[in-house]
Amino acid sequence: MTVILEALRYLGYVLVFPGFLFCFLAGMLLCGIDRKLVAKMQKRVGPPILQPFYDFFKLCGKETIVPAAAERISFMLAPLLGLAALVVIQLFIPVFSFTAFYGMADIIVILYLLLIPAISIIMGGAASGSPYAGVGLSREMVTIISCELPLVLVLLAVAKTVGSAMGTGLCFSLSDIAEYQEINGSLITRISMLPAAAAMLLVIPGETGSHPFDTAEAETEICEGLLAEYSGAALGVFKLSHAVKMLTLSSLFAALFLGGLGTGILVLDALLLFLLCAGITAVSISLVHAVTARLKIEQIFKFYWTVVSLPALLSLVLAWYGL
Amino acid sequence: MFKKLIEESTGRSPWLFHINAGSCNGCDIELVSVLTPRYDAERLGFKLAGSPRHADIVVVTGPVTKQSLPRVLRTISQVPEPRCIVTMGSCPQSGNVFRGSYSVAGPLSKYVPVDVDVAGCAPKPEAVIDGLALAAKILKEKRGRMK
Amino acid sequence: MNLLGNVLSYQHFPIYAIMVLFMGSFLIAAFGENRRVRNILALLSITASLIFSLLLINPVILRGEIIGYWMGARSIAGGYAIGIALEVDALSLFFALLAACAIFVSGVYSIQYMSRDDNEKEYYTLYLLLCGGVMGMVLSGDLFNMFIMVEILTFAAVALTAFRNTARGAVEAAFKYLVVGCMGSTFILVGTAMLYAQTHTLNLAQLAQLVPGNMNTATKAAFALLFVGFGTKAFIVPFHPLAADAHGAAPASVSVIISGVLTKSGIYGIIRITYFLFQSMGLGTMQFLLVFIGSVSMFVCVTMALAQHDFKRLLAFHSISQIGYVLTAVGLCTALGLSAGLYHAINHTLFKGLLFLAAGAVLHETGTTDLNKLGGLARKMPHTTVLFLIGALSISGVPPFNGFASKWLIYQATYQKAVESGNIGFLLVTVIALITSVLTLASFVKVSHSVFFGQLPPELEKVKEVSWGMRFAMGIFALLCIVTGLFPNLVTTYLTEPAAAAAFSVQRYIEAMGFDGSAAVEILAGSFRYAGVWEPVSWLLVLCIALLAVTIAALAGRYDNVSLCRTAAGDSKYQLFYGGEEQSFSQLGGDDMFWGFKHNWRGYFSFMHRLHSGIVNDYALWAVADLALVMLFSLIVL
Repeated sequence: MTVILEALRYLGYVLVFPGFLFCFLAGMLLCGIDRKLVAKMQKRVGPPILQPFYDFFKLCGKETIVPAAAERISFMLAPLLGLAALVVIQLFIPVFSFTAFYGMADIIVILYLLLIPAISIIMGGAASGSPYAGVGLSREMVTIISCELPLVLVLLAVAKTVGSAMGTGLCFSLSDIAEYQEINGSLITRISMLPAAAAMLLVIPGETGSHPFDTAEAETEICEGLLAEYSGAALGVFKLSHAVKMLTLSSLFAALFLGGLGTGILVLDALLLFLLCAGITAVSISLVHAVTARLKIEQIFKFYWTVVSLPALLSLVLAWYGL
Repeated sequence: MFKKLIEESTGRSPWLFHINAGSCNGCDIELVSVLTPRYDAERLGFKLAGSPRHADIVVVTGPVTKQSLPRVLRTISQVPEPRCIVTMGSCPQSGNVFRGSYSVAGPLSKYVPVDVDVAGCAPKPEAVIDGLALAAKILKEKRGRMK
Repeated sequence: MNLLGNVLSYQHFPIYAIMVLFMGSFLIAAFGENRRVRNILALLSITASLIFSLLLINPVILRGEIIGYWMGARSIAGGYAIGIALEVDALSLFFALLAACAIFVSGVYSIQYMSRDDNEKEYYTLYLLLCGGVMGMVLSGDLFNMFIMVEILTFAAVALTAFRNTARGAVEAAFKYLVVGCMGSTFILVGTAMLYAQTHTLNLAQLAQLVPGNMNTATKAAFALLFVGFGTKAFIVPFHPLAADAHGAAPASVSVIISGVLTKSGIYGIIRITYFLFQSMGLGTMQFLLVFIGSVSMFVCVTMALAQHDFKRLLAFHSISQIGYVLTAVGLCTALGLSAGLYHAINHTLFKGLLFLAAGAVLHETGTTDLNKLGGLARKMPHTTVLFLIGALSISGVPPFNGFASKWLIYQATYQKAVESGNIGFLLVTVIALITSVLTLASFVKVSHSVFFGQLPPELEKVKEVSWGMRFAMGIFALLCIVTGLFPNLVTTYLTEPAAAAAFSVQRYIEAMGFDGSAAVEILAGSFRYAGVWEPVSWLLVLCIALLAVTIAALAGRYDNVSLCRTAAGDSKYQLFYGGEEQSFSQLGGDDMFWGFKHNWRGYFSFMHRLHSGIVNDYALWAVADLALVMLFSLIVL
């Protein structure tokens, strides 16, 4: 009996919170808030906050065309795999003191799990056979390489800070990082972590492929790149994945740097997490979107490996010497 | 209920794909101005899509020259159902000052059913928004008729 | 009855495992004219060798025995080892098992893969010689015998590299390999001779007893010679260009052995001389040497791979990059590091074998491995595509496949080493390892797009899926990739940790052969705990549930209700969007990918391009220069 109840509880985690339902609602809302904020920053009225929902449901009602040149199974399976992988990552990121699946994955695993949605969109695009997708996937991969270095440095810096404070030398476990912050306050209050947090804020738009770093899906030059041949529900799932990725990365930021703010009541914590994510999105995605123009792909690489990596490296060195 | 939701959403999220069929560029500029902060068509959910596969409304400008005709038709056929075709400016409707030229194959309505015509040379942004809103309504009806 | 029992005692199994391969080789040379006889002989000998190695697991790994075996019942006379000895501890057996598995699968694959070539008899003779050489080398208990086996395998490998000598570059590749490979073998021979002059013995156990207390200029020079000699066999930097040539030209089934097994035997040699003969791994400088060469190999070779446009050359560079991971982890000299390195060695054999076989399948069906000429094969060869993707995701370290499991341990081991030793340099190694992993992913994205996805070139319309035998061989590797990825605890407990423990118990190794091991320098392996958590099975379960939920929701929303092209000739609706133009063949060539990355590193890439001149004189010079540097290094620090 208890086994069944346990199984149901975990199924609830997967399906409701912090799984699908939460990802769907929160991710879409986040996306809507982002669009509204960008509009406000440009002195426009902007679309309604619920616009991403309209877009998604509209796409569900459209015809899905599979081009004759496409590899059908990979083409249709890729969106689903990407979405499932993102939801699974969300399950491992602690919501303050609450972790849905305890002791199954650490930050190195998360780093590599984040590649799976990217791989699935690349495979889907490649399977469509479109030459625009070929250019898009080349750019997408370069964007991933660009973001990888600063992200790695940030994660190692956090691991070192928490590890030396806990006396184990290094700590890759996210729930331990959350626990540490419950006791000692948020990591962002430490001076050595400030540059890392700033770097992470700049990594988020790159990883999600939002505006100045969206060369891979540049609609005006390469016809949406990887998504060029997608239509209907499959496109809708990719758009949903994009929204969920915004949620995942901003809640990863919250888990790494803003832990220890929780109240212990799950519903309030979820609400707080969403508000924090909205704040992080506002700064890292909307603001950057509104004030910049799209970069070229080689500029993105240079930007991430110099401007973003340096503060992350600084943070790592500071953490290394125990500051 | 799900069907109702989709139908309702279809009217609120029309994505545009713009085809230049030999236009003088006047209408193209006006179409872009519709999306600027002054007119901000995005508040109605309009968005420019990069690929015909993503589009709901195809906006055609220009008198449809012989060179562009097969390309226009091919691109329109690649837009998934339900879709609306909007002609913008007088050229695709009537040929305008290019009418009778050896190189013009228009009007567009000879080849595909056109849902909305926005006349003018070039039409005012307000007129364009009005035409697009009408197209969005037609789009919703078309979605409702789909099984 | 007693005789039979004696013959079937497991003490004899190591020599049987070596002998059956050589016997098979000679028998095929004598009686291999008939195709059926030849195949049966080859299959029998590789199967027998695999079985003998598997049977040794129980005594050596589970019961922890060390088998010391004197051939012809000779043994120690006058305090010196005169006879030829085999000595099998968990470390030797670990590498022997790896070799036996790869040999078996690649042998099964060869039967159909080589069926279109001439001179199959010679192929199998050389193939089994190569395999026997590898097996003999890792099981040998005698430094000179190791040299003999290295010679056998080098010459067999050279001959097999040039096997398809009508193919462009095959003879040239074999020549380069011959020149530098022979230099390596000579280094090993000279090193062996110098050690013999100093200690009057060739037995590994006795050398391990005598050498550390007897350090002088000659033994230090011998160390450098042996290290560089085994380095050429592992193709680590600066010998990586040879690997690219050799793998590119050799038949795929041989590439599996060269990359999966031969390089490992080089690593095995390096472990034996550093951990056992000289017992010098406790020195920080020695760790620096290994980790430095390892990191440089892993990074330089992955960037070289990014610039390749030939499927097999690209795989060859990746091979050395992965060997770099192994060497780095081995050089850390911690229990976690060594275990992680050996784990990666297993995984590398599996996924690289799989990838080479997939490349061979593509070559077999299309006749080319040029990434600029291929594309869209996923629709023609669906099974090969899936198998290739498993291999590609494994090598790129994507969970839950095996590459991730071992790389995850390597990241932890390097970071832990950095924290323990307080040396920030090891932290740099962690970062390099993480970046190398994502660059690996990039080059496999390139391969999968240029070979299996994208558009099908018109001349490849008639391509068919490869035969079942070849798919079966690839399937074995793919299955092993998944199993070793999903159950990392089993692999570490039953394979890598015993092998790593064997490397840390030099005294037992010496005493197993009847020598006095009390003076051996024991390095304390130290205990370790994982700094993170990774539960692949539960993770996969969660992913499956999530995927199931998405799929059910999608199907409920009629996701599968798609418009497909029913008519044969192109309805414009189902053509690809070409900006309004008619669809025509257009595939992004492998060379043109990742421009944004290559552009920023153009200085580095053009430097590398100039450096890898392809002239064998240069590579010979590199070998000498490498020897000089390592010798200087070892004279100073040892």
